Amino acid sequence: MLTPTHDYRRLDYRVPPRVLAGLDAMVNRGVGIYQRRAQRVAKLREDAERIVCDEARWRELPDASLHERLMEFRGTFRRGGKLADEIVMGALGAIREASRRELGLHPFPVQLMGALALHRGFLAEMATGEGKTLTAGLAAVLAGWTKRPCHVVTVNDYLVERDAAWLRPLYTVCGVTVGGVTAAMDPAARLKGYGCDVTYTTSKELLADFLRDRLRLGGIQNPTQRLIRRLLAPVASDGLVMRGLHTAIVDEADSLLIDEAVTPLIISAPTKNELLKEAGILAEQIAGALELESDYRANSRYKEIELTDSGRDKLAGRAGQLPGLWRGNDRRTELIRQALVAREFFQRDKHYIIVDGKIVIVDESTGRPMPQRTWREGVHQAIEAKEGLPLSDPSETIARLSFQRFFRCFHKLSGMTGTAREASGEFWQVYGLPVVQIPVNRPCVRQHWPDRFFATDAAKWNAVVLEIERLHRTGRPLLVGTRSVASSEKLALLLSERGLDFKLINATRLAEEAETVAMAGEQDRITIATNMAGRGTDIKLGAGVAEMGGLHVLATERHESGRVDRQLFGRAGRQGDPGSAQAFVSAEDELIRRFLPVSLQGVLRRSLEARFVGSTQIAEKAFSLAQRRAQQMAFKQRRAVLKADTWLEESLSFAGGDTV
Amino acid sequence: MADAQSTFSESWYRIAGQRISLRPSVRVRRQNFRGDRWIVLEDPFNNAFFRLRPAAYELVARLRPDRTVHEAWKECLDRFPDEAPGQEAVIQLLAQLYFANLLQYNLAGDTAQLFERFKKRRQRELSSRFLNIMFMRFPLLDPDRFLVRTLPVVGKLIGRFGALLWLVVVGAAIKVAIDHWPTLRSQSENVLSPGNLPLLYASLVIIKTLHEFGHAYFCRKFGGEVHAMGVMLMIFTPVPYMDATSAWSFRSRAQRMLVGAAGMIVELFFAAIATFIWARTGEGVVHSLAYNAMIVASVSTLVFNLNPLLRFDGYYMLSDLLEIPNLSQRANQQLGFLAERGLFGVRRFESPARTREETAWLTTFGITSGIYRVIVFAGVLLVVADKFLIIGLIMAAVCLISWVTVPVWKLIKYLATSPRLDRVRLRAVAVSVGLVLVLVSFLQFVPFPNHFRAPGILRAGQRCEVINQTAGTVEVLLAKQGEHVRAGQPLMRLSNRELEVQIAHTLARSQELEARVLKATKDDIASLKPLQSQVEAAVQQLAKFRADEAALTIRARQDGIWVAPGIDTFVGRWVTRGNQLGLLIDPTAFEFTATVQQEDVDALFARKMPGAEVRLTGQASTIVGVHDWQVIPAEQRMLPSSALGWLGGGDVAIAPDDPHGRRAAEPFFEVRAKLDSKTGVALLDGRSGKIRFDLEPEPLLPRWTRRLWQLLQKRYQL
Repeated sequence: MLTPTHDYRRLDYRVPPRVLAGLDAMVNRGVGIYQRRAQRVAKLREDAERIVCDEARWRELPDASLHERLMEFRGTFRRGGKLADEIVMGALGAIREASRRELGLHPFPVQLMGALALHRGFLAEMATGEGKTLTAGLAAVLAGWTKRPCHVVTVNDYLVERDAAWLRPLYTVCGVTVGGVTAAMDPAARLKGYGCDVTYTTSKELLADFLRDRLRLGGIQNPTQRLIRRLLAPVASDGLVMRGLHTAIVDEADSLLIDEAVTPLIISAPTKNELLKEAGILAEQIAGALELESDYRANSRYKEIELTDSGRDKLAGRAGQLPGLWRGNDRRTELIRQALVAREFFQRDKHYIIVDGKIVIVDESTGRPMPQRTWREGVHQAIEAKEGLPLSDPSETIARLSFQRFFRCFHKLSGMTGTAREASGEFWQVYGLPVVQIPVNRPCVRQHWPDRFFATDAAKWNAVVLEIERLHRTGRPLLVGTRSVASSEKLALLLSERGLDFKLINATRLAEEAETVAMAGEQDRITIATNMAGRGTDIKLGAGVAEMGGLHVLATERHESGRVDRQLFGRAGRQGDPGSAQAFVSAEDELIRRFLPVSLQGVLRRSLEARFVGSTQIAEKAFSLAQRRAQQMAFKQRRAVLKADTWLEESLSFAGGDTV
Repeated sequence: MADAQSTFSESWYRIAGQRISLRPSVRVRRQNFRGDRWIVLEDPFNNAFFRLRPAAYELVARLRPDRTVHEAWKECLDRFPDEAPGQEAVIQLLAQLYFANLLQYNLAGDTAQLFERFKKRRQRELSSRFLNIMFMRFPLLDPDRFLVRTLPVVGKLIGRFGALLWLVVVGAAIKVAIDHWPTLRSQSENVLSPGNLPLLYASLVIIKTLHEFGHAYFCRKFGGEVHAMGVMLMIFTPVPYMDATSAWSFRSRAQRMLVGAAGMIVELFFAAIATFIWARTGEGVVHSLAYNAMIVASVSTLVFNLNPLLRFDGYYMLSDLLEIPNLSQRANQQLGFLAERGLFGVRRFESPARTREETAWLTTFGITSGIYRVIVFAGVLLVVADKFLIIGLIMAAVCLISWVTVPVWKLIKYLATSPRLDRVRLRAVAVSVGLVLVLVSFLQFVPFPNHFRAPGILRAGQRCEVINQTAGTVEVLLAKQGEHVRAGQPLMRLSNRELEVQIAHTLARSQELEARVLKATKDDIASLKPLQSQVEAAVQQLAKFRADEAALTIRARQDGIWVAPGIDTFVGRWVTRGNQLGLLIDPTAFEFTATVQQEDVDALFARKMPGAEVRLTGQASTIVGVHDWQVIPAEQRMLPSSALGWLGGGDVAIAPDDPHGRRAAEPFFEVRAKLDSKTGVALLDGRSGKIRFDLEPEPLLPRWTRRLWQLLQKRYQL
C-alpha cells in the first residue's frame, strides 16, 4: 500500500529555476567559473587518496563484517543529513573493497575521484576507457542507499542491459536493488525496473515514461493538489510506472545534455488531416514547376527558402488548384516553402531512408534510423510527397518535452563524459553543473598527427583511401570515422574497389554495433563507423597491436562540434595504450560550406589549391573558425529553444501545467 | 517564439483541448483607425486594454466555455480560410490575453506563476517609476463615485450650452487681455521672481486640479470610468493627475479627442475668469493669484499640454487625429525599422507602418519628438542644476542613467543578441561602430569656424569738448549739429549785454582817463604818472572784455563733426561760463571698447592674433572692420558705459549693490579695437555693439569639453 508520502514523492520533481538573463546571467557566469576552479580537482584527489590510504584496513575485513559495515552505511545514508556527508569517504572505501571482491575490479583513485565528483553533483570529464561504468556504479550505490530514486542514464538499450547485469553483484552485496528499463519492456516490467533503488535506462525511455505518467495524471499534476484529491477519493491503481525524479547520473552527458538536448521527445497519436494530405501532393506538384534561383532562393546555412517575385507570380497563378484553406497568399506561400524545404534541404539516404514505402529519419550524428521520429507537421508529408510515397497521417502531439528541460527537473544531476570542457559554460548556465576534469589513470601517449587539408572532396577521398591502404599494409587496425551514413557507404564502395576488407557499421543492431566496435582493435582490421557509433564501448587492442603502434583513428570530416572530434580521436590510445589519430578535411566539407563566411570559403579554396607556404595555417584557422561559429550558433539555438519553452510555459499556464 | 505565420504549431496540443473564453466583464468596442477596423477589449476592473485585428477577434469571439479552442479555430478557419490566424498566432494571442487578465479558464492555473507575474509587474512598475523620475506618479484615491454623483450637475455644462458659454467667456477674456496688454506685459517680468513663486505654485495646483477634473468629467460623461487620482511629481513639483485612460476604448474619435482636450478647455475657461478678476481688482493677493492663474493656464497649456512632442494631452489628441494609436512607440519602431533596413540590411521584417502616409507621419514624429525631447530635457536639467546644486547633480545622474547609459546598454545588447540581426550582425555592429566613430572623429578632428562675441561700446578716437569761455545768451547757431566743421569755423554766437555795457563803460572810462591825462600834462604833471597807469589798466581791461566778446562767437578748435545734443533748445538761453556745449569728434578714428569675459579671454592671449569685426546695435547686418586691437592685460570691474550692464539693457551682469549699474558682477578684460573708417555705418560715439573674434577653427568636441569644465568650475567651484 502506498503511503501518502510515498505517493507524493512519486510525482516529485524539481521545478527548474529560471534561465537567468542580463546582469544575473553575468554574475551567474562568474559563479560558474568559480565553481569550476582547479582546487576542486585537488580536493577530489586528496579525498581519493584518503580512501586509498584506508585500503589495507578494508582488505583485512572478512566478508561478513564488510557486509555488516556496508549495511551500517546504508542505514546512515537512508537517514541522510550531515552524518552521511561525513562518512562518504569511509563508505566509498567499503564499496571499493566490495567491488574488488565481487567484480574483481579494484577501482583506481581516478575512479574514486570520479565517483566523488558524481556524488557531489559535478560533471566529471573522464577520458575514454577510464572505466566510467564502474565509476557511475560507485556513485549509484551511494545514491541508492538513500532510497531516493536514482537513475543511471546511458546511451542505448544494449548498454543498459550490459551495465546493469555487470554491476549487479556489487549492488547486491551493498544492499541496493538494481533494475533496467529498455524500449522493449511492457508497463509491468517498467514498473519493476523503476521500482529498484538504482535504475539503468536510456534518456529516451526515461523521458517517455515520465511523459506517459504525466498524461495518465490528466489535469492535476501538482503533487500537493493530487495528494489532497486522492485522500478525498482514493484510487486503487493509477498505472504510473515511475517514482519521481531525484538523482540522475548521466553517461555521455555532452551528447545527451548538449547535442541532443533540444530534440524534444514527442508522444503523439496519428490524426486524420485530409486537408494537409491533399495540399501536400498539390504543393509538391507546384513546387516542381519552380526553379532554383529564378523562382526561389535557398539559404543553406539557415535552411530557409525565399520566393522571388517571379516565384510568387507563378504560385499565384496556380493557387486555384489548391484546396480552399490554402488559397490565400500567406498560407500558400507557407505550403510551398515547406515543399521546397523538403526538396532542397532533405536528402534521401542522408537525412532519411525509405523502408517499406515509408520515410525513416536517419539520425545525422549516429547514422542510425529512427523509425519513431517524424518531422514537424507538414515537412514529413512534404517529403513523402516528394518521394511519391503515400502520405502518412500527420501525428498529433499530445505531450512534448525537450531533454534540456527534462534534465533540469532533477534534484540532483551529475554526469560523466569524455569531452566536456568546450561546453562547460553551457553545462553551468543551463544545468547548473560545474565541470571538473578528472586526470587520467595512465598518461595518454596517443599521437595526434597534423590534419591534412584538401581543396576538393574528390582529392580528400582519394587521399583517405591511399592512407588507409598504406596503414593497412603495416597491419595496424584502423577506425575510420565518417559524418554520415552516405559518406561511410561511399568510402565502403571505394575500399571494395581496391579490394580491401573492412567492417562497416550500418547501425541496425546495437549489440552487433558494439561488438564490431569492440573488435576494431584487432590486427588488420578496418572499421568504418559514423562518428557517434558505438559510444560507450571500449576498443581493446588485439594481441601484438600495441607493438605496431596501436589503433589509428582516421576522421574523414570535422564535426560541427570539436567535442565530437575529440571523442572520435579518443578511441585510440585509451588507458595509456599507444595510438594515433588524424583528420582529413577538404574545403568542400559541409562544415565549411555551412559555417564559414562565403568570402573566406573562396580564400580557403584558393590557398589550398595553390599550396603556398602558410596555406596549412590558413586552413587550420578557417576550420577552427567554422567550428567555433557552428558551436556558437548551436548554443544560441539551444538557448532560444529554452527561452521559447519557458515563455510558452508562462504564457499558457492557464492551460494547466504542462509536464514541467 | 516560432514563426507566427505558420498554420500549424507543435505546441498546439497545449491549448487545443482547453475551454476558455473572455471574462464576462470584458467590454468589446469597435474603433476605426485610418480606415482599418480594430476591436478594443477593455477590462473595467483593472483598466486594461487590448487591441485586436478583426480576424483575431473572430477567433476570440468564438471562444466559449462549451467548446474547445481547437473547435473554435476550426470554425474560424472554415469561414475565413485566409485571414484566420495560424495556430502559432493563436497561441501568442491567447498568451497576451492571459497576461492582460482578460481570459476566463476553468483550470485553477498555476497559482505560483500568477504570484510570480504579479511580483514581476510590481518590479517593472517600480523601476519604470524610478527611471521616469521627471514624471513620477502616486495614485491616491478613486474619484469615480464622486464624479458619478456630481455628474448630473456638472455634466450639463458639457454640451452645446457649455460650448457657447465657453466661447463667450473666453472671447470676452481675450478682449479684456488685449485692452490691458501693456499692464499684462509689464507684470509678466516678475512672474519668476522668488517672491512670486509660492503664488505661482498655488495657482498651478488649483488650475491643474481643475484641468484634471475636466478630463475626468468629460470621460465620465461619455461613459468611461475614472478610478485613479493622485499626485504626479512633475520635475519634482507635485501636481495632481487623474487616470482617464478608459477613454481609449471610446468608439468615437471625436469623443476621445474631446476627453483629451477637456483639460485645456477647462483651463482656458478658468484662465478667462481669472482674467476678469485680475482686471477688476487692485494690487493684492487675489489680484496676483488671478494673474498667476492666467499665466499658468495659458502658457502651460500652449507650451506643454498642447505640444504633441511631449507626452501630454496634445500627443494623445494628435495620435487620435492621425488615427495612429501608440504613436510614439510605433514611431520609435519605425525609426528602428528604417535603421535596420537601411543601415544594417535586415530584409526579413515588415515595416510597422502600413501605408505610405503612416510611414511619413511616424518618421517625422519620431525624429522631431526625439530632437525636441533632448532639447527640453537638457534645458530643464540646466535650469534645475543651476538653481539647486545637489538635486541638479542627482537629477543629472538619473538622467545620465536613463537617457544615456540605459539606451547605450540596450543598443549594445540589441547589437549583440537581438535575433533580428542574426544574419547581419557583423554588418550591424560594423555600421554602428562606424557611425559612432565617424561622429566622434567628426567632432574631434574636423575644425569648425570658431568665434565668440563680446559686448562693447563705440568711442571716438579723438574728441574735443566745446566749452564756452564766456557766459552769455545763445544768440544764433552758426553750424548745424552733425555738420563737418573746420577749425576756426564759428559754431554759434552768444550775446552778453553786461559785457557790452562793461565794454562801453570801460571805453568811456578810458576816454575819460585819456582826457584827464591830456589835462594833467598841461596842469598837473605830478598826477600824470598814476593816471597813465590807470589808462593802462583800462586798456587792459578793455582788451580782456574784447577777447571775451570775441569768445562769444564759439569756434571749432579742430576739424571734426559738431555733436551737440539738444543745442537747439539753448537758443535764447543763458549759459554760464565753462559749460560744455557739445563735442567735436574726429570721424576718421573710432575705437571700440569691448568687455571680454574671463572664459573667453584666454583665446585672445593664447593664440596668434585672431581677426575681429564689429556689429553695432541696430545695424547688425553691416560689418565694421577692425584693423588693430589690443587687450588691456588687467582685469577690470567698471564698465566703460552703463549701457553694457543689465541696468542699461546690456548683457553684462552687474553687481547688485551698484545703483549706477556700471560695476560688473564678475571681473572682465577690456579690449580696445580701432575701427576702419570707411564704412556705411554711422559711427556714433557711445553706440553699443558686439565685437566678434574669429579664432582659429577648432573641432567641436574639445571646445565642448572645455566649456563644460568652465561651467563646472564657475558653478560649482570645482
